[in-house]
Amino acid sequence: MTQFVVRRLLGAVPLVLGIATIIFFLVNLAPGDPTLLLLSPGVTDEVIQQMRENFGLDQPVHIRYVKWVGAMLTGDFGYSFSHSRPVVDVLLDFLPNTLILSASALVVAFLFGIVLGTIQAVRQYSALDSSLSVVLLFFYSMPSFWLALMLILTMSLYARNVWGLPIYFPASGMTSTEYEFLSAAGRIADRVRHLVLPTLSLALVLMAGIARYMRGSMLEVVRQDFVRTAHAKGLPERTVVFKHALRNALLPIITLVGLYIPFLFSGTVFIETIFAWPGMGRLIVEAIFQRDYPVVMAGAFFFATMVVVANLVADLLYAVVDPRIRYE
Amino acid sequence: MARKDGMVDESMLHGPSPKWRGGLPVLVLAASMAACDAGPTERPVPDVAFCQEVLPAVEAYVAQARTANPVPEDPRYGGTAVLGSIGELADGMNGAVSSAYSATQHQQFVNRMTLIDSDANLEPRPYLAERFEVAEDNTSVTFHLRRDVYWHDGEQTTAEDVAFTYETVTNPLTAFPNAAFWDRYVQGPEGVEVIDDFTVRIRMEPHAEFLDPFRSLGILPEHLLGDVPPQDLKQHPFGTQCPVGNGPFVFYSHAAQDRWVFEANPAFPEALGGRPFLDRYIYRVIPEQTTLLTELLTQNIDVYSGVAPDQAQRILDDPNSELIDFPARQYVFVGWNARRPQLEDPRVRRAIAMGTDRESIVEAILQGYGTVAHSSVPPFHWAFDEGRIQPIDYDPEGAAALLDEAGWTDRDGDGVRENAEGVPLSISVKYNQGNQQRQDIAEIMQFQLADIGVDVQPQVVEWATLLQDINTPDLRNFDGVVMGWVVEFKLDDMDLFHSDRIDQPFAWSGTRNPEIDRLLVELGTAVDRAVARELWAEYQNVVIEEQPYLFFYFPSRLVGVSSRMENVTMDQRGVWLNVKDWYIDPAAR
Repeated sequence: MTQFVVRRLLGAVPLVLGIATIIFFLVNLAPGDPTLLLLSPGVTDEVIQQMRENFGLDQPVHIRYVKWVGAMLTGDFGYSFSHSRPVVDVLLDFLPNTLILSASALVVAFLFGIVLGTIQAVRQYSALDSSLSVVLLFFYSMPSFWLALMLILTMSLYARNVWGLPIYFPASGMTSTEYEFLSAAGRIADRVRHLVLPTLSLALVLMAGIARYMRGSMLEVVRQDFVRTAHAKGLPERTVVFKHALRNALLPIITLVGLYIPFLFSGTVFIETIFAWPGMGRLIVEAIFQRDYPVVMAGAFFFATMVVVANLVADLLYAVVDPRIRYE
Repeated sequence: MARKDGMVDESMLHGPSPKWRGGLPVLVLAASMAACDAGPTERPVPDVAFCQEVLPAVEAYVAQARTANPVPEDPRYGGTAVLGSIGELADGMNGAVSSAYSATQHQQFVNRMTLIDSDANLEPRPYLAERFEVAEDNTSVTFHLRRDVYWHDGEQTTAEDVAFTYETVTNPLTAFPNAAFWDRYVQGPEGVEVIDDFTVRIRMEPHAEFLDPFRSLGILPEHLLGDVPPQDLKQHPFGTQCPVGNGPFVFYSHAAQDRWVFEANPAFPEALGGRPFLDRYIYRVIPEQTTLLTELLTQNIDVYSGVAPDQAQRILDDPNSELIDFPARQYVFVGWNARRPQLEDPRVRRAIAMGTDRESIVEAILQGYGTVAHSSVPPFHWAFDEGRIQPIDYDPEGAAALLDEAGWTDRDGDGVRENAEGVPLSISVKYNQGNQQRQDIAEIMQFQLADIGVDVQPQVVEWATLLQDINTPDLRNFDGVVMGWVVEFKLDDMDLFHSDRIDQPFAWSGTRNPEIDRLLVELGTAVDRAVARELWAEYQNVVIEEQPYLFFYFPSRLVGVSSRMENVTMDQRGVWLNVKDWYIDPAAR
C-alpha cells in the first residue's frame, strides 16, 4: 500500500510539471499584455517599458519560464499585477469562499442524490420512481446559470415583492452588509441565508446526476445473491436495504466523490458571477481578462495538482471501503 | 477598462487558517465565526507591515474625532447606504495610477479631497483650497489650502502633500494614466513651489481649461507615501489594502471583488458640510446586472449604478425605486483605420456615415437614454453648440452617389462595390467580446450598409487582444473598431487626431489633416472660453468632414435609487457627487 502511494506520488511529479509547462506557455503566448490595459494617452514608451520591467515581462519567454519554475518549486508564485499583492495571499483569500460554497453544494447534492436514488431503486417502476426520474432529468438538463436566475427570480424577487412571503433569500454576496454587527448566531444564520440560492443552483444539477448513478448502482446490487439471501433469511426490508445493499451500492459513488474534489477548489464562474460570490472561478477568469499571468498560472497549477491528488485519493478510498481491492 | 484589485476578506481569514481544511461548511462557518469576535468597531488590519502601521493610527484618530465631534441632534444622521456596481474599484484609492471612473470618483468625493471642485456649470469652485488665484499672465496658479483638513491618521493636510502629489503624477515613472493633463504644465519639482504650509503655487504655460486636472486629482498623503519610489506606487498596499484619505469618509475595510466599507469622518470640516449624514457607505461588487436589479428591487442595495437601458422600465415601474439619468462622460464611436485602401478616401468614410441610420440605431440600443454624437464634444459641455455644426444625416442615395464619385462601383455584380484595382469595399468591424451594444452597432451597420454596396464583417475579439490589435503602432490590425472613449471636462483630441502623434498608440484612424492639426494646437492654448467656443465649432465641422471616426452616441448613465434615499444628486460630475449629503429617510432606516 505504502509502495503504491509512493509510486503514484512520484509518477505525479512529472505529470504536474508537464501541466505547469503547458499552462505557462499557453498563458504567455496568448495575445495581449497586461501593460496594454494600462495604456492611456500621454503615457510614453519609456513608461510602458518601465512597467514591463516591473512586471518582469521584458525578458524572453524561455528565461521567464525557467525563473517561474524555479520560484514555484520554492513555493513562490510571484506577485499579482492586478491585485498588487503576492499571488499566494490572493489565492488564500478566495479559496475559503469557494470551499464554503462548493462544500455545501456537494454535501447537499450527495445527501439528496443518494437518498433519492435509493428510494427510486427500492421502488423501481413505481409512480414515485417515474415522477422522480422526470424531475431529476429536468434538473439534470438545466444549465446551472439558468437555474440560478430562476431561483433569484422566484426565491428572492417574487418571494419578497410579489408573493410577500416571510422567507426570501438574498440574491448576492456571502454576508449582509450588517454582518459585523450581528451576534454569533445571527452571523451563522446570515451566512446560511446567503448560501441557500447559490448552493441550490449548484447542488440541484449535481444531485440529479448522483441520484441517477445511485439508482443504477443500487439496482445492480439488489439483484445479487447476498441480498436475496438476506431477504430469504427473513431480515426486515429496512435492514436489507440499509445494511446490506446500500453499503455495497455506495462503492461507485466514491469514484464520483473523487472526481468532484477538484470542483471543491475550482469554483464555478457562472454561479459565482451571478451571486457575486468572490470565489476562485471569478478570480481566475478576471485574471485571464486582465492578463494577470501569475494568478492565472498559479490558479491553473493548483487545480491541476488537485485533480492528480483527487484521483489518487479516490483510488485509495476503494481499498478502504472494499477489502477485495489491494494495491501491491 | 476596469482593472480589479484585491484585499483580504478579513471575516474569512483571521481565524487559524487550517480550519477551513475541514471542508464541511459547518467547520468553515465556525472558523469564520471565531474570526469575528473582535466586534464591529475595530477595523480589520491586513497582514502587511504598512497597514499594521497606519490602520491603528486611523483607528485611534477616528475614535478621538468621534468623541470630539458628537453626532448632531438631527434625524438625518445615521444608517448604512449600500451601492452596487458591476466591477471593482480598480487600483482602489491609489490616485497616482488609477483611471477607472468609479475608482477616481471615490478618490474625489468619498475618501479623499481635490483642490477644487466644480458647480453644475463646470465652473471651478474652492474645496480643499479655500481660494485660488491665477497669475495675470496665466503662467501660474496659487492655491491657499484650508487649515482644518486632516488625514484620517491625524496628520494635517498641507502644501507639502499637494507638492508631493503634483511631483508624483508628473513624474513619468509613475505612469499616471492622464498624463495629457500636464502637457502644458511645468512638470516635476520645478513646476511646484511651496510658499508656506498652506500655500502652494504651480507653474504652467497659458492653456485651455488648466484648472480641470485639479478637479479630479485627489491629493495624496506625503507623510505616508513620500518614501515610495514612483515606479513602486502601483504595487503599494495604500491603494487597495489600507488607504488613508482626508475626505468625508474614512476607509474601513475592503474584500477583493466583494465590497468596500467606508465610515463617516466625524472631523470633516464644518464649513464643507461637516460629518456626512450616513454612518457607513458600502460599495458592493455584483458582476451580474440581473442580480443587481434584483438586489435593488428587493432593497438589499440602495443604489444601483450602471443600469442597462433595457432594465430602466423595471425600475420606473417599481414603487420603491427611482431612476436617475444624466449624461455620462463618454462617447461610443466606430474608429476607422484610414491606412487601409478601402478607407483612405474621406469620401468613402463620409458615405458610410450617410449610409448608417444612427438615429434609429441609437434609439433601439439605448431606448432613448443617450443622444446621437457628431463629434467628441458632449451635449452637457460649454463648447457644445448644436446650431453651429453641420452633421451628416442619414441619406443612402447620397451615400451611393458619393461612392460612385469616389470610384467605388459594383463591377462584378456581386452586390459589393470595387475600386478600379478590383479591391472590394469590404470592411471588418471589430468589437470586444461581451459588449452587446457594440455588437448591435456592428451588426446593424452590416445590414444597413449592404444596401449601398458596402460589405461590413462584424468580428468579435477578446478585450486585451483587441487592445493589442488597435494600439500597437506597427500592427493596427483592424479596418474599423467599435470603441468607447471617456472624456474629462477638459476636452483634448490631440492624441486621437493630431498628425504628430500618428505613431502613438491612440492614433487609431491615422488620418492627416492640416486643418485639424492647426485647430487642435489653437484649442490647446485658448484660455478664454468665448474664443475657444468659436474654435470648437470650426474644429467639429472639420472633423465631421474628415470622418476619422463615425461618432455614434453619448450615452446617459442610469442609476437606480431606492426611494428611502434622500437628497441624492447626480449629474455629469458623477454618481458620487454629493455622497456626503445623502441621507436615509429616518422612517425607513
